[in-house]
Amino acid sequence: MRFGPPYGRVKVPLWAFLLMAVAALSGCGSGSGTAVDALVLEAVEDPSGTLRPEQVHLKQGGVERLEGARPNLGSTDAAYWVRVSGWQGAPRNARVVLDNPTLDSIDVFTLNGARVLGSVRSGAAYGNPEDLIPSFALPLNEAHELWFRVRSTKPLLLPFSLTQVDRVEATRRRRDLAVALYTGMVLAILIYNTFLAFTTGQRAYFSYLFVVLTVGLVQWCFNGYDRLIWGDFSWMAVNGLAVMGALSGLAALVFARHFLEVRRYTPRWNLMITLLLWVYAAALISAFLGMPSVAYNLVNLGALSAPAMLILSIVSWRKGNPSAPWYFVAWSIFLVAVTMQALRDFGVMSSTPMAAALLPIGTVLEMLLLSFALGNRINVLKRSSDEANAKALAASLENERIVKEQNAELETRVRERTEDLAKANSGLSNALHDLQGAQDQLIQTEKLASLGQMTAGIAHELNNPINYVQSNATSLRRDLEELIQVIEAHVAALSGLASDAPDGMELLAKAQDMARTLDLSFLIEESRQLIQGILDGADRTAHIVGGLRVFGRMDGDNLVAASLGELLEASITVLGDRARSKAKLNVDLEEGLPPLWCQSGKLSQVFMNIIVNAVQATESRWQDVEERKVEVGLSGVKDGAGKLQALKVFIRDNGTGMDEVTRQRIFDPFYTTKDVGKGTGLGLSIVKGILDDHGAQVRVESAVGEGTEFQLLFAIDAMKGGGTQDRNEAA
Amino acid sequence: MRDNMADEIIRVLYLDDEEANLFSFKAAFRREFEVHTCIEPHQAVRLMDEHEFHVVLSDQRMPRISGVEFFELVMPDHPDVSRVLVTGYADTDAVVDAINKGQVYRFVSKPWNEEELRTVIRSGYYLNRSRVQNAEQGAEVLAMLEKLAGQVEALDGQLAAGTPEAISRVQQELRNLREGVLQERERYAQWMDRLGK
Repeated sequence: MRFGPPYGRVKVPLWAFLLMAVAALSGCGSGSGTAVDALVLEAVEDPSGTLRPEQVHLKQGGVERLEGARPNLGSTDAAYWVRVSGWQGAPRNARVVLDNPTLDSIDVFTLNGARVLGSVRSGAAYGNPEDLIPSFALPLNEAHELWFRVRSTKPLLLPFSLTQVDRVEATRRRRDLAVALYTGMVLAILIYNTFLAFTTGQRAYFSYLFVVLTVGLVQWCFNGYDRLIWGDFSWMAVNGLAVMGALSGLAALVFARHFLEVRRYTPRWNLMITLLLWVYAAALISAFLGMPSVAYNLVNLGALSAPAMLILSIVSWRKGNPSAPWYFVAWSIFLVAVTMQALRDFGVMSSTPMAAALLPIGTVLEMLLLSFALGNRINVLKRSSDEANAKALAASLENERIVKEQNAELETRVRERTEDLAKANSGLSNALHDLQGAQDQLIQTEKLASLGQMTAGIAHELNNPINYVQSNATSLRRDLEELIQVIEAHVAALSGLASDAPDGMELLAKAQDMARTLDLSFLIEESRQLIQGILDGADRTAHIVGGLRVFGRMDGDNLVAASLGELLEASITVLGDRARSKAKLNVDLEEGLPPLWCQSGKLSQVFMNIIVNAVQATESRWQDVEERKVEVGLSGVKDGAGKLQALKVFIRDNGTGMDEVTRQRIFDPFYTTKDVGKGTGLGLSIVKGILDDHGAQVRVESAVGEGTEFQLLFAIDAMKGGGTQDRNEAA
Repeated sequence: MRDNMADEIIRVLYLDDEEANLFSFKAAFRREFEVHTCIEPHQAVRLMDEHEFHVVLSDQRMPRISGVEFFELVMPDHPDVSRVLVTGYADTDAVVDAINKGQVYRFVSKPWNEEELRTVIRSGYYLNRSRVQNAEQGAEVLAMLEKLAGQVEALDGQLAAGTPEAISRVQQELRNLREGVLQERERYAQWMDRLGK
């Protein structure tokens, strides 16, 4: 927050202005400078204020001669009659001036003996702006008496003088000018500080504005200019000074309370200020209750606050209030001005124009000084605020530094953590990579294992027929040679007989003997059976190879349209005695089902895997092969309209079965119930992968001691899209 | 003791779960050997109890029982018979089991080579014969030793009489005994020589 106007720059013109003002204001309180002593003043007290001019004329007793230029009858409820004489011989344009505009009422009577020749009324109560300097024409007849009846709630200060009309007017003009100047200065101060008050929002500024306004108005009241404000509102004219005085007192006290920060520096004095405030409040109340004198005296009593505030400022100063010296100086000037005014009023001091100007100048100086003090105070506040700001700034800079350090530390730690994490991450990704490698290897192992199993199965299946084809061929050749021997022997015997050779019968007997020895009929039967064996073997070999063709390539990802029935048969064939000889295999495949787009090699891997598992499960449960039952089935699934929707393959066994936990986990990689080294635990997980690739639904039902059933549901057109272009390739 | 080894007909039993193989085997070897074939393991066990076979061949992969298991089964009763395992495809486990559990003499893979298989059968026969003869020789030596021990005991009884003619009779007997022991030693040495070949 930035306070304060640039006082340093404003000060010089302000002081120059002030010097000019002092000169101008000199005209403020001055009456005329001539013939004062010429007038003789005799006063008659009228305590009840009921005397009539005729009676005053007669009343010779109690007449009091008033001395001095500024006779002061004090503050009284009584009315006074003053006979003014000594004007005789004065020029015709001379006027009797009673230069006290605060007097409530001035009645001037011209008496001829006891007869009232004329009367003029003036005074504050009548609010005539022309009568700011009450002046009265001289009686035409110098023998007549001039009586003034004055009555006022304010002190009866009666500065009579005899002055020429033009001088009166000149004085009036000077005074107007002075008041205007004064008013101008007060207004300037007022406006300037109003601006500051609203800018700074300081309470002291607002009370200061109140002070300036009221003090200014009091000065107006002193010079009677207040009637310009309230016109012929006589109550205010009578009570204005008291009210304004009370208000200015209130303002000054409130301002002191704010400016000197009484509660902070001198809390004990606060009570006194409150008391004084009540005095002024009482003054106001009195004024409103129609007791103007009481009000005026209370205001005078309240004037005790002036020295009190002076002392308070000293105390506050000593308590370390930096604003107190300013206040002290300003208040001192004001007090000096007021004191000098009082001294002048009581005739102690001569009434020079300079002296008359002292009070307004004093007030102006006070206002200015207080304004400066306020500015200074705001500067002090600003300084302390700046210091506080600087401290706060330093603190926040320190905080910032700490925060930065902490940030740096945090950043370091974050970086370290990040590095650690990155390391851990790279370690993990390495581990993952290794794992993937291991998994790939395991899958490869599993593939090789199943390939090995297949190879073993195929080899065994093929080697048996090949064995007897080959062996039979050898045996057949031998049989054939023996048969040829027999035939040749018979041919020789027959040709011998035909040519009637001598040994014909002998040859025949020999041939018949050979046929008997070699057991011709047996040879023939054996040859037939050997040939049948060769044919069977060739057939079986062809069948197996045909089954193998159904698989397609083992690793092939190509989609082919394959009959699931053929695939199942081929799988069982390839499994050979690993399936057939170890359990009773019941195969029931529905005929006439459409082919399925699939990866045939992978699907047969799936079937073989499940069938082998089924057979092994029965082996674990049953000793007798006859008890081990594995059913393999294929059927079509139709919707309500009889349209074929899916193909269902089931592989059911009456083996050991699984509990729920095992059933849930069978497709998990590396999960195996087999002994270590017997299975990778990947078989069924790979199976699941392949089935998922085919969009097949898998249902596994199992119960311990009852068996297991795998149901695989292949939607008819699940794999159709994108598979057509592979058809030829795969075929 | 029989020395008619070369003349004896070799008796062979072949066990396989496939009829076609059995027939092929019989057709191939019926001329040289006395071939018995069998498709059921329990039938084969009965046949072995009834006849003395020199060589038994079995397929490895059969329903209910493997060839190795079959050999294991019959070994206690027929320890001398030569066992030959015939298989279409042998994994390592089967080979290891065949040697350790089945104490298989030879291992023949299908499709068999007829000549090789013939040789295997013949050598199996000789092995069987030599095992049997060894057992017989051992029994003969044992019997001779027992006989000698009986004679020595009898002589010892005669010496107890102490008469001069008894002494001379014992001396004569001892000479005969020495002659017999020497003969027996000679025969045993010849047997050892033959074993050492």
